[in-house]
Amino acid sequence: MSFLQQALAIAGKDLRSEIRSKETVNASLSFALVILMLFSFAFDPGSDQVREISGGLLWLVYAFAGTLILNRSFARELVNDCLDALISSPASGAQLFFGKCLANYLLLMVVECVSFPVFIIFYNARWPARWGLLFLVMLLGTWGITVIGTLFSAMTVNLRLRELMLPTLVYPMLIPALLGAIRLSTVLIAGEALETDDQIWFKLLAGFDVIFTVLSLALVEIVLVG
Amino acid sequence: MRLKIILALSVLSGLILSWNLHTMFLKVPDELNQGAIFRIIYFHVPSAITSFAGFFLAMFCSVGYLIKKDLRFDSVAASITEVSFAFTTITLITGSIWGRIIWGIWWTWDYRLTSFFICWLLYVGYLMLRRAIDDPTTRARLCAVLSIFACVDVVIVWKSIEWFRTQHPGPVLSIRSGGGMAPGMEAPIWWNFLALMMLATVLVLIRMRQEAMQREIDTMRRYAHAF
Amino acid sequence: MDQNYTFMFYGFLVAWLVVIIYVISIALRERKLRAELDRVKRMVDDREHEPKR
Repeated sequence: MSFLQQALAIAGKDLRSEIRSKETVNASLSFALVILMLFSFAFDPGSDQVREISGGLLWLVYAFAGTLILNRSFARELVNDCLDALISSPASGAQLFFGKCLANYLLLMVVECVSFPVFIIFYNARWPARWGLLFLVMLLGTWGITVIGTLFSAMTVNLRLRELMLPTLVYPMLIPALLGAIRLSTVLIAGEALETDDQIWFKLLAGFDVIFTVLSLALVEIVLVG
Repeated sequence: MRLKIILALSVLSGLILSWNLHTMFLKVPDELNQGAIFRIIYFHVPSAITSFAGFFLAMFCSVGYLIKKDLRFDSVAASITEVSFAFTTITLITGSIWGRIIWGIWWTWDYRLTSFFICWLLYVGYLMLRRAIDDPTTRARLCAVLSIFACVDVVIVWKSIEWFRTQHPGPVLSIRSGGGMAPGMEAPIWWNFLALMMLATVLVLIRMRQEAMQREIDTMRRYAHAF
Repeated sequence: MDQNYTFMFYGFLVAWLVVIIYVISIALRERKLRAELDRVKRMVDDREHEPKR
């Protein structure tokens, strides 16, 4: 089987398991809605201030809710030694990792696509005219979060303090990607024109994704097996 | 032999630091715009360079461990990270105190301070991961991977926050107010840098010895339980 | 100007305090490790010299 076939098989397994149980997506979605509500107490929704921080708000919600999905990613395999079975299967560490990334990515995109209209409604924002570009930003930013989160999920899966360690390790790593996503989202949601300066953020997001995907694929075997 | 090196470096570093204190307080005049507080630069900048260098040195040692699988590389990486963490803390706090006088505020999200704070957080993550894993080989392996990721991330973080802050200019942290420094005033920075590097080396060597001791304890414990 | 000198003093104090605290923590760890090493060495000796059952 080719690399992609193996990865897709693993992604399919994860997605099928998630569709049947719906535990992670439900929890993540509820958490996203709770955070949106909590932020409404901190900032006056509908004001100009919210327009300035809209991108930041959105990506904080995505990052926090995403951690729930990413944490479960490898943790769900601990039961009945499934992780050991997966590692000893013919699929290499990189294939296992990539498959899990694909599954997490899809789940995270679902949560984001559902929470975005809710954000628009709660904060009286207007649907962005260039929603296509905004969707591209979401695609790029989410892949960054997924790749880093899945690798660190693999790293922390066997630790006692797994739920504590994952956010502590992941969030500082994600800062460049979040910065770019936040900046671009704020501009696009506000309906402003993208300056030439802002195009650098697209390059940063793409570069971040490529660098850390390659690095993760190279090192994940060491993390999982040794 | 190693003990002699440690002793020699400590004495030398102590001498240079004492001599520098003399230079800083008695020879160098107060800076025109900043006054006395500018002398903090003599600790702030060398600490900053030392802590930043720590990331890259630790990464090289981590790569060395992954290739050679020798736990001594892991000890070096861990020791360097710990010492660099101490120096990053010094950088942040001295920078904050300097800012309190110059800008009137304890903290600002200037790009250098922000980047250094992120470096500090990455170090914290590394040290927490080390504490969380008991098995030495697993610990070495996972911390090596984390160190490589952290180093790559530091470079990207530094550049991206610089771009972010040039788009949204905040207060400009210029340790050097205007171009450069008068020649007499710059020399103590580099002497202090030498002294702090020696101090850092001493601390790293001591920590490495402790890591070797810990390895010996682990081996003996395994041997004892084999009976 | 007075505040200037005070804060400069605080700055130097903090720098040295961090170094000293770190050195103290290293020294404490050294003591703990030596005690543990002695304990484990004694354990190994005891096990080695135990009469074979």
